[in-house]
Amino acid sequence: METELRNAIRKLLEEKTVDVAIGYGRVGVNGAVGATFVTNPDDVDRLVWNNECRQNLATHLTRAEIKKLGKPAIVVKACDARAVVVLCNEAQIKREDVYVIGVVCDGIETADAAGNKTGALMGKCLSCVEHAAKNVDLLIGDEAAAKALDEKNAPNAKSVGHYEKLAKLRAMSQKERFEYWREQFSKCIRCHACRQNCPLCYCNRCVADKNRPTRIDTSSSLKGNFAWNILRAFHLAGRCVGCGACAAACPAGIELDLLNLTLANAAEDQFGYVSGKELGELPLIGTYSPTDKEEFIR
Amino acid sequence: MAKIGVFTCWCGENIARNVDVDKVSEAIAKLPGVGCSMNYKYMCSEPGQSLIATKIRELGLTGVVVASCSPHMHLKTFRKTCELAGINPYLIEMANIREQCSWVHSDKEVATAKAIELIGMAVEKVRRNHALQPIRVPVTKRALVIGAGVAGIQAALDVASGGVEVVLVEREPSVGGKMAGLSETFPTLDCSQCILTPRMVEVGQHPNIKLMTYSEVEKVDGYVGNFKVTIRQKARYVDIAKCTGCGSCWNACPKKNKIPNSFDYNLGNRGAIYIPFPQAVPARPTIDPDNCMRLQSMKNGKELCGICAKKCQTNAINFHDEEKFVEVEVGAIIVATGYQLYSIKKEQENPRIKGYAEYGYGKYPDVVDSLQFERIISASGPTGGEPKRPSDGKTPKSVVFIQCVGSRDNAKGITYCSKICCMYTAKHTMLFKHKVHDGTASVFYMDIRSGGKMYDEFVRRAIEQDGAKYYRGRVSKIEQVMVDGERKYRCYGADTLKGTPVVVDADMVVLAGAIMPSSGVTQLAQKLSVGYNEYGFLSESHPKLRPVETNAAGVFVCGACQGPKDIPETVAQASAAAGKALIMLSQPELTREPEIATIDEKLCAACGACVKACPYQAISIEEIRDRKGNFIKKTSRVNPGLCMGCGTCVAVCPSKSADLIGFTDDQVYAQIESLADVF
Repeated sequence: METELRNAIRKLLEEKTVDVAIGYGRVGVNGAVGATFVTNPDDVDRLVWNNECRQNLATHLTRAEIKKLGKPAIVVKACDARAVVVLCNEAQIKREDVYVIGVVCDGIETADAAGNKTGALMGKCLSCVEHAAKNVDLLIGDEAAAKALDEKNAPNAKSVGHYEKLAKLRAMSQKERFEYWREQFSKCIRCHACRQNCPLCYCNRCVADKNRPTRIDTSSSLKGNFAWNILRAFHLAGRCVGCGACAAACPAGIELDLLNLTLANAAEDQFGYVSGKELGELPLIGTYSPTDKEEFIR
Repeated sequence: MAKIGVFTCWCGENIARNVDVDKVSEAIAKLPGVGCSMNYKYMCSEPGQSLIATKIRELGLTGVVVASCSPHMHLKTFRKTCELAGINPYLIEMANIREQCSWVHSDKEVATAKAIELIGMAVEKVRRNHALQPIRVPVTKRALVIGAGVAGIQAALDVASGGVEVVLVEREPSVGGKMAGLSETFPTLDCSQCILTPRMVEVGQHPNIKLMTYSEVEKVDGYVGNFKVTIRQKARYVDIAKCTGCGSCWNACPKKNKIPNSFDYNLGNRGAIYIPFPQAVPARPTIDPDNCMRLQSMKNGKELCGICAKKCQTNAINFHDEEKFVEVEVGAIIVATGYQLYSIKKEQENPRIKGYAEYGYGKYPDVVDSLQFERIISASGPTGGEPKRPSDGKTPKSVVFIQCVGSRDNAKGITYCSKICCMYTAKHTMLFKHKVHDGTASVFYMDIRSGGKMYDEFVRRAIEQDGAKYYRGRVSKIEQVMVDGERKYRCYGADTLKGTPVVVDADMVVLAGAIMPSSGVTQLAQKLSVGYNEYGFLSESHPKLRPVETNAAGVFVCGACQGPKDIPETVAQASAAAGKALIMLSQPELTREPEIATIDEKLCAACGACVKACPYQAISIEEIRDRKGNFIKKTSRVNPGLCMGCGTCVAVCPSKSADLIGFTDDQVYAQIESLADVF
């Protein structure tokens, strides 16, 4: 697959279909996998594809410095592809301005504090029912195998992985749940890695960086941490595609993906809305339909 | 450096009773930036206002806080004061220490502390106020009137006679509304059609009125002074410009007198091509596609019948007619959509309202509602004015009238009084007795409500001169029985004044059903952004002082769509709405409040959340380019003419690049922070 991917990108660069390829490479200190940008066809061997490709590269599509490089090709997993769709739907990019290369993904492994693989799949991968990326220009990998994985996971999709955690969270009393998040947020050092790694946090200047008025405490006080993490989750309500890049990036190990899942799950339960499913879809927040459920209004 | 003047009002005793105003003034004077703090018995009075003006001039105040009633009450008053004293009128804020403080608290100490905090918040806000200029927008000198019953007719004629063009939209094929179907009118017993038809004709002929019958409002865009309204003209299948109204078609229709006529509440019949009643305006027919043989056959690719088209001398019939959408630009809109009777049957559209199964309406043919009875005794009605009962055409000798069917009945879900039933029921008894001298008219009522000029005298006349029998009590059940081979309706009622049960065998029963707004009015209200109550009656802006205005600027209401009312009141209200519309349209341009949304275009990420959330379509995505035309970035941008300042965009903007002028986040946060020690 890796060779296939490299060949495809080499061809795209050689034929000038794209100017830059955004892919994964071993760029970290201990050979950790991260975003790599290839503009020269001879450099494609720097690209890798394996189960350590945790980042969602779509976050680079809206960056001014990447935009300057010209038309990009981007390597996406199925969850990342949904983020590309949302970026298109929110008018941040035009679909025709990006060449999207989907890879069939059989799950990404979590990393320990030192950045080494743990052998365990990420929570989102255990409940994944979309192993082959959709809305792509090119799909690399065995589609039939992806479908088989989809079918294997489908029966338990809503009860394993981070859904299992969600069920535990829901079973807690309000007080217990508050305590849980208090403990989680108390770890936050406000490095904003979650924001930097989230493809949908694309604002030119984040509300957290504005100080007139100061809506969120800038220091890592518990109050500010609550405000920041909850506000970011709110901003992702009905938008988050569940790629888990935030949680993977968090140096404090806060279960941010679980926080976002609660809202994504509410969007799906209440309105049957799954973010990033199709191009041209209207956003959940800001779209009103007379048939919307109103039972939560009391 | 800020120099803010704070003026605390006693509001007579309203505030001073529960708030220690001296203590308030004293505490506020200590706040940083407060240049003067004083109190007075009536700030809104002439001496109160001149006190403010004097202080503004003497001390050179940079901002003013008036702590008194709700800004709804007097913000305009005090803005004027500031303007006259020479500072920008938007440099004043009001702290509501009456409705939100003195009226709702009884503990003076607590209320005083709260008043100080409320004023402190206003001081923090006004410190961040900016001088603003009102927005000027041009006005389209044309009005739209929706509904052509007596209210719409009157409003349209008044506006048109004031020299302004009117587009009058009516969803039925003819103007006239409910009044065109009435018999005679209280309290003078003049014939309803005789007084209405000249007005109907005038509406059809007035050079300033563009009449659009068989049409409905599809979409409303724009804002006060500049509405763009899309009107859906339903397919009539008759070109009313070519048609002369000769009648050859409807007299030749093979379905003539075979289809129930909704204008007669299905008591009379019409053809498939028809005019609803002889005096219809425009006197042009309409084809009912559900009953026309040709139009039905065309669905199967055949061409049956078509007799009307053959008879037509002017080629006015077009079986291929389709509905059309017409866009009109208007500056003001008058809503006059009227009423309908509550459905007395058991099934109801609105689940909160229950029907009267016990009266057998819809089951017994001779149990009719009051509008049907109007047709039965109307000279132009299906019986030619002869009182005949629907089941067998016999003249009823005993008629029972039941008032408050639905109205004032909490058990059925309608709490209000329908207002006109007491009067028209008295009229019904009179008209019946005038035609059937040996007949008996029995009325069951809860109370007789006959306030109005010559109204109570009218009811007394029905009872004393015409001999209507009034029973104060309600009817619990109506049963169909046979008495000596005659079909009778046995009404089990009560006379609560005597304390006895009353049983009347009637030949016919007339139910005075509650008045409800017309069907579809809530959908229309949503298009117009006009409020309505739980029953669908449209909300006026103020029940006493702004009775025909609505909270949607440039939209006025009149007639029964706003609440049950009789003809004189409806006409008066229609003229009032016309007057208000004319006042608005007589201005060369309108000024609008400058408190609208604005986007920080540098910081906007152009995600479009605000575009989708804006209820007024006031925001669009635009491109920013440099002088050479090079693309720099995209941004959201607010059209100040369309923005109503609701602030929805501010709420949805993730990066808080949207802000509301006059209510900026900076101001609101400062207000909140002034309250809390935690910040």
